[in-house]
Amino acid sequence: MSIPDSLPKAAPHDLENAPGTLHENLEGWVPPLATEEEIRTAFEKAFDYRGDLTVTLKNGQKIEGYIFDRNNDGPTLRDCMLRVMPKDRADKIKIPYSEIAALAFTGKDTAAGKSFAAWVKRYWEKKAAGENNIGIESDALEED
Amino acid sequence: MGVPVSQMWTVASYVIGQKLRGRKQYPVVLMLEPLFRCNLACAGCGKIQYPAHILKTDLTPEQCFAAVEECGAPLVSIPGGEPLMHPQIAEIVEGLVARKKYVYLCTNGLLLKEKIDQFKPSKYFSFVVHMDGQREHHDFAVCREGTYDKAVDGIREALQRGFRLTTNTTLFDGADAKSVREFFDDMMELGVEGMMLSPGYTYDKAPDQDHFLSKKKTRRLFRQILSNRREKWCFNMSPLFLEYLMGRREYRCTPWGMPTYNIFGWQKPCYLLQDGYADTFEELLRDTNWERYGTESGNPKCANCMVHSGYEASAVNDTFGSLGGFAATVRATLFDKYPDPDVDDDTPMAPRRSSGPLVQIGAAPDA
Repeated sequence: MSIPDSLPKAAPHDLENAPGTLHENLEGWVPPLATEEEIRTAFEKAFDYRGDLTVTLKNGQKIEGYIFDRNNDGPTLRDCMLRVMPKDRADKIKIPYSEIAALAFTGKDTAAGKSFAAWVKRYWEKKAAGENNIGIESDALEED
Repeated sequence: MGVPVSQMWTVASYVIGQKLRGRKQYPVVLMLEPLFRCNLACAGCGKIQYPAHILKTDLTPEQCFAAVEECGAPLVSIPGGEPLMHPQIAEIVEGLVARKKYVYLCTNGLLLKEKIDQFKPSKYFSFVVHMDGQREHHDFAVCREGTYDKAVDGIREALQRGFRLTTNTTLFDGADAKSVREFFDDMMELGVEGMMLSPGYTYDKAPDQDHFLSKKKTRRLFRQILSNRREKWCFNMSPLFLEYLMGRREYRCTPWGMPTYNIFGWQKPCYLLQDGYADTFEELLRDTNWERYGTESGNPKCANCMVHSGYEASAVNDTFGSLGGFAATVRATLFDKYPDPDVDDDTPMAPRRSSGPLVQIGAAPDA
């Protein structure tokens, strides 16, 4: 794991409030993969993304699935790889970065908008509308 | 009631055995996640945000047994997702009990009454019902009204049938210490074996990042909650870990003490951070760069963590690691009231600077 330089080093015993991670809105993003830095950055974000992505290989094959692991520490792109659970089969695939032509954040970001503040807002809206048994339902398991 | 002597003996002899063999990194509890699906959608949980095809994937009983054998930990905790939604959960529990593992099945309790016929009481098996406080606090924390009452119904049913049962409580920024103490009374009156506690922290997979506790707030809150303890309270946790939460001692993170296995493999480095996966437990121990994790590493992702998965195994290791640690555990067990005249346990402790408003059902928010 690389620790982003932009984050302050922890001073945990002095902190009154705990700063959290800022989650970017990446749904629909097609990152540029022109330079090695762009590739490494994009694949790190792909690993953090809570939805499916579409990986296009240099041989033209497209793989849609969830990126659950990556090795971003290799000295060259040939030494780095993504690990994907494809959407259409129970399997785990390893793909070297060097074989990837394009990446797209095509699936729904399943973490987006699920903050406690959003729940509080929703609760009071429903309460004001006179509803009872208010709650957030789990996402449906139908495929996007 | 309480933790069976056989369980204490099993853990003690296991840890001492590891130490005699000179193992520096050994697991105490396997966190076995057989699925990520859940019938709740709590904002504080980062365990369930996956595409549908991932949520529909389960570990098989054989995969679970193989992971347990590979890891070797004497205790197995089964979180999730909601484990009672796994179609073969009873088979998994039965297989682990047959292997003489002490199994803690973590559940929100919503399906407990419906599924309880599938299980048999055993000293090796305990339900752990997630309860985040008194009714209004719990329902608000898990983002659904009515959840507390259903869980309590399930608890009553399980206890009446002779099952071991503990509760597990996660406390977030803005928690009301007085209410938490009353909640402990309520749970002990229900007849639970013991209670587990954990501070919520800002692990980066959690979709909500604004309602977790800093270390400073965690220590202040747990000192408030756990000082001047009432006679009837019983905690199913390491007493030294509770002292750590109260700020009475310091530990280094030992995430290998509670490794996590799920459909992706062995999770690096711990139960809450997901920094990749190893295919075998040996690979997890060998290839994870452990120096990068824990508060002491300076990793900002670990800065606020005081969670059991990183630090309770450290406390257990301390108990059996030195005469001083053992003596401290005996002392903490025998003298567990922690009188503290500076802590007023009869009045609610308002958070001094909550990073978010304390909001409860039944009271309109200020904004």
